[in-house]
Amino acid sequence: MRSNHKWGKVYLAVVFVILYMPIVYLIYYSFNSGGTMHDFEGVTLDWYKEVLHDTRLWIIVLNTITIALLSSAISTILGVMGALAIYYVKSWRMKQILLMLNNVLIVSPDVIIGASFLILFTMIGIQLGFTSVLLSHIAFSVPIVVLMVLPKLQEMSSTLIDAARDLGANQWDVLTKVVLPYITPGIFAGFFMALTYSLDDFAVTFFVTGNGFSTLSVEIYSRARQGISLSINALSALLFLLTIALVIGYYFISQKSAVSGMGGRRR
Amino acid sequence: MEKEAIIRFERVTKIYDGQVVLDDISFDIERGKFYTLLGPSGCGKTTILRLIAGFTEPTEGTIYFHGKPVNHIPANKRQVNTVFQDYALFPHLNVFENVAFGLRIKKKKQAEIREKVMEALRFVNLEGYENRSVQEMSGGQRQRVAIARAIVNEPEVLLLDEPLSALDLKLRTEMQYELRELQRRLGITFIFVTHDQEEALAMSDQIFVLNKGKIQQSGTPKEIYDEPVNRFVADFIGESNILRGVMLKDYLVEFAGKRFMCVDKGFRPNEPVDVVIRPEDLQITTRAQGKLQVRVDSQLFRGVHYELCCYDEDGNEWLVHSTKKAEVGEEIGLYFDPEAIHVMRISEEDGEKIDEN
Repeated sequence: MRSNHKWGKVYLAVVFVILYMPIVYLIYYSFNSGGTMHDFEGVTLDWYKEVLHDTRLWIIVLNTITIALLSSAISTILGVMGALAIYYVKSWRMKQILLMLNNVLIVSPDVIIGASFLILFTMIGIQLGFTSVLLSHIAFSVPIVVLMVLPKLQEMSSTLIDAARDLGANQWDVLTKVVLPYITPGIFAGFFMALTYSLDDFAVTFFVTGNGFSTLSVEIYSRARQGISLSINALSALLFLLTIALVIGYYFISQKSAVSGMGGRRR
Repeated sequence: MEKEAIIRFERVTKIYDGQVVLDDISFDIERGKFYTLLGPSGCGKTTILRLIAGFTEPTEGTIYFHGKPVNHIPANKRQVNTVFQDYALFPHLNVFENVAFGLRIKKKKQAEIREKVMEALRFVNLEGYENRSVQEMSGGQRQRVAIARAIVNEPEVLLLDEPLSALDLKLRTEMQYELRELQRRLGITFIFVTHDQEEALAMSDQIFVLNKGKIQQSGTPKEIYDEPVNRFVADFIGESNILRGVMLKDYLVEFAGKRFMCVDKGFRPNEPVDVVIRPEDLQITTRAQGKLQVRVDSQLFRGVHYELCCYDEDGNEWLVHSTKKAEVGEEIGLYFDPEAIHVMRISEEDGEKIDEN
């Protein structure tokens, strides 16, 4: 029993090492003054300096963040509306159909979504660039938000709505004073999920970016193809740090709402 | 004496998915009384409450509020408030804000809200709890918050949907006293829904006994207990010995193979009837003195009395509550007064003879 336990721990450690090794390797060589990824010659921060002075890169970072914030905000609104719609649909059949249509979008491959958006945008004549990227990001984020919000709605007791109406609340009051506050943890979870999906999306974005507009993941990809520069390593290291920060931030938010008794669901 | 009816149901029928939940029900609710809708689950009692609250509309018939039809008036426009079975407190609001919810919707001034909420909390003995989260409250306290949240709006009618069912026995008894007391102090109409006959008997001015979407009987607790109109009511309210019998003529009834004097009249000669005798009205005596001769089959000590299960020669079961002890297997006699016999018409599950008060 005891040795089983020990081997379990070893196995877990091995898995995590394998998973994190490439990232650690990448970050390690971002400090290499040698300029390659096989001979570590000395510690330097030059690559980070290069990244910091790369204005083109900073514009792209800004683009990426703008797209991420805008698309996740808009898709949160749409997703909450969608979840409410599904919740209020009376027929069980209709509910299942809507839910299925929603879930198909989540599991379908990014490549297909990206390609089909490319075809759509060229057909209806939307220029590839900021708008096309934003629209496609909204499109793949909405189903995620719906999926995050719906369980909160379903765990809400329906007598809560009866109680609010009983106390004189009209439909709007019920929505703003009871339903939305109740599902707030779900809304936050959906927003953060959409944010991370948008920030690191490559496949869909790759299809719908035009000339002159790019997001970080697409840019890193194209730079990596041009040849090895350790500034990419530095950039990736910074991104990794940012992701860690986001995860920790999300953890604290969900902890707080769990303590106040509303966010019970921990992920 | 005709009192003003606050709520009147006139031939109300409710059908859910082709199922008749309420079947042609009519009744009046008067001001300032404690009413109880009593019945087994699925009898339609909660549906009546939801109809009064306005969460659902009748399929047929009309509901009047102060003489005006209110069928299509939504819940948020009605002068009634509800205490829900699961309390339905808003988890994102603290105690104060839960109670203040209705007043905030009505856009009352902050000072007035504060005063009224505090008064309502005082009414339910929850002073000093206003800043608590509802999550930290016990079941009994949540119950009080739910009541405070309803009465702060000064409704004319307070609806209570099995509010005590989630509490333990001791707390439930305590809350029965409190609710009754609260109703007296507020002077408003309470409509209380329950399946617990003891609760109903203890608290109500007036009880409606429901079964299968029909009112079986309405009356004071004493009337319902002493004069049940049919087998269902007699069986549902308290424990009873119910037998088939024949009403030979006025004041003479035959059951268990014997003829007995009774106080009932107004039946057809030789009309088949149901006869009820409450277990506490049966006294143990010697075989010779008893009106019935039975053999004790089992005996349980219930604290205030012994509960005897006996059988007569015809195999009829007799439940006896007696302070005297008997021996199992002993042959005893049972004595009862003519007043202890209650004769009921046999009804095909329907409650003719609804309200005669």
